[in-house]
Amino acid sequence: MSQTPQPDRVKYAFIFPAFLLVLTITLFPLIYALVVSFQTIRIVPPVPPKFVGFDNYAEILASARFWGSIQVTAVIVFVSVALQYVLGFALALTLHHNVPGASLYRVSFLLPMFLAPVSVALIARMLFHPVLGPVNEFFTLFGLENLPFLTSPSFAIATLITVEIWQWTPFVVLLMLAGLQGLPSEVFEAARVDNISAWRRFRDLTFPMLLPLSVAVVFIRVIEGFKIIDTVFVLTGGGPGTSTETLTLFAYNEGFKKFNIGMTSALSFLFLIVVILFGTLYLAAAQRMIRRYQ
Amino acid sequence: MDRTTFRRLGLGLALIWLAFCLFPLWWVLVTAFKPPSAVSGGATYIPFVDFQPTWQAFRDAFSGVRGDFAGPIFSSLAVSLVSTALAVFLGAMAAYALVRFEFRIRLLAGLVFGVLSIGGFALLNQGAGLSVPQSLGLVMLIALPVAIWLNGRNLPGPVLGNDDVTFWFVSQRMFPPIVSAFALFLLYAEMNKAGVRLLDSFPGLVAAYTAFGLPFAVWLMRDFFANVPVEVEEAAMVDNIGRMRIFFQIVLPMSKPGLVATSMIVLAFIWNEFLFALLLTSSKWQTLPILMAGQNSSRGDEWWAISVAALISIIPMIAVAIFLGRMMRSGFLAGSIK
Repeated sequence: MSQTPQPDRVKYAFIFPAFLLVLTITLFPLIYALVVSFQTIRIVPPVPPKFVGFDNYAEILASARFWGSIQVTAVIVFVSVALQYVLGFALALTLHHNVPGASLYRVSFLLPMFLAPVSVALIARMLFHPVLGPVNEFFTLFGLENLPFLTSPSFAIATLITVEIWQWTPFVVLLMLAGLQGLPSEVFEAARVDNISAWRRFRDLTFPMLLPLSVAVVFIRVIEGFKIIDTVFVLTGGGPGTSTETLTLFAYNEGFKKFNIGMTSALSFLFLIVVILFGTLYLAAAQRMIRRYQ
Repeated sequence: MDRTTFRRLGLGLALIWLAFCLFPLWWVLVTAFKPPSAVSGGATYIPFVDFQPTWQAFRDAFSGVRGDFAGPIFSSLAVSLVSTALAVFLGAMAAYALVRFEFRIRLLAGLVFGVLSIGGFALLNQGAGLSVPQSLGLVMLIALPVAIWLNGRNLPGPVLGNDDVTFWFVSQRMFPPIVSAFALFLLYAEMNKAGVRLLDSFPGLVAAYTAFGLPFAVWLMRDFFANVPVEVEEAAMVDNIGRMRIFFQIVLPMSKPGLVATSMIVLAFIWNEFLFALLLTSSKWQTLPILMAGQNSSRGDEWWAISVAALISIIPMIAVAIFLGRMMRSGFLAGSIK
């Protein structure tokens, strides 16, 4: 980055429009939501706001549904991101080594992440139909007929994980491929001359060199994964019961089915705290891992 | 030995993944042409062999007997194009400033700003009984100049630089969108009460989505600008051409590929976005993803209709993905992972 330090006032003209927009649209509403989260406000039926302190927070922390939704979200996110990372890295390696037809793969592998999750979920609903869908037909080959893909809790979560993997592995491929292309080729040439096996080359060179990028990619995927609502909304609606309800969906249901906005505000701030806590812990752990490798 | 083994493994993996990747797309494409009998009898895959394709579902969708498709398509197009243009434009300006100038923000000034805003709002809204938009606006008018003035003083404490400002922009993407979406919904509802229609309106949606796309734009454009050679700009500066003119007439044209790529990515994100649209629209400005989510309950078994709807939302993005895939081959995007 090249910077020419100068007392140029024009720099504010460049950055202020964006700054003000973020301030008014993203941050200032949060102030209002923060104040609301300490009150009892209902829209339907309208109840005048009443200050209740930390009651909303306490009530959410005591509710089993909140912890259930954290658990569901965590399971979906961690299992799917782990698989996305392994698959995505492997696919990036094959693309990097120019398997025949690489350019065809490149576009097709990129495709899923550009499609609306809502549409993907609609397609998945057809594919995973317990009677008429092709996935059912596939499992029938193995004698497993009419599995409850969307109506039994554990199957439904597995289905959601599959959809997540389908849609977001491309993101890992994209970034890991860019990382692979940025590695110094001399080191690998030297290793090949020294007759070091492909596996050792990967374990001792590629993997450690891409570790910082891997940490970032996994971090982005986990943070993005925590936001999941659209897929679940269409695919299972959180059901059966609340067994696939994710955090965002829980917040939405709380706010728009019960119209309890004080509670929803409190819930969204708790969600924010969960994400910040997790992010800090993850980055601290990742930093230690990177240091160990160097 | 291992070289060929790994190659075969890789090829096998790539082929399996290709099938896994493309099958759902094939499925939605053929299902859109299926007559009802080809759906209710179990899974069918190949047109003309398994079933006789028909255009009926497309005709139904576009004639309007199946509910309004044209409205959501129009609002999706209008909202995502306008917000993408705005987000990339504002983001590019901010990114340029972050690459070429030095910013020094005192942490203490930032903290004062936060405390003043939150405390001031609580005081004005709860204590003085002003309406929510009024007190938010007033607080901003007071807190911002105070913070800017403080930033010019010689305050103790850490000083934040350009990387921190960039992180501040990007971090908007990190926290859960339900937090800001819900807060924005509350604020828009208050504005509606005050007579300014923002819920379920074009300006409201565009504002929300511009802010939504901005972090990507800042993040991606920063790397493109960092690779634009400074010399041209310095030459222009010697000729006493203003910074704004340099930016619009020299820098922006030079980074056209970056602008195009960034716009594509931001467009895809906005086009597909669900949560903001779910909260901020109700009828008039519903976007495609909301219509899609409704398809599910309104016509669960009419797979041909669902497929047509899905195709409408997917096809523009397939074009975007193919375009970006082409650009990726030329090694662009490698810079943005730093």
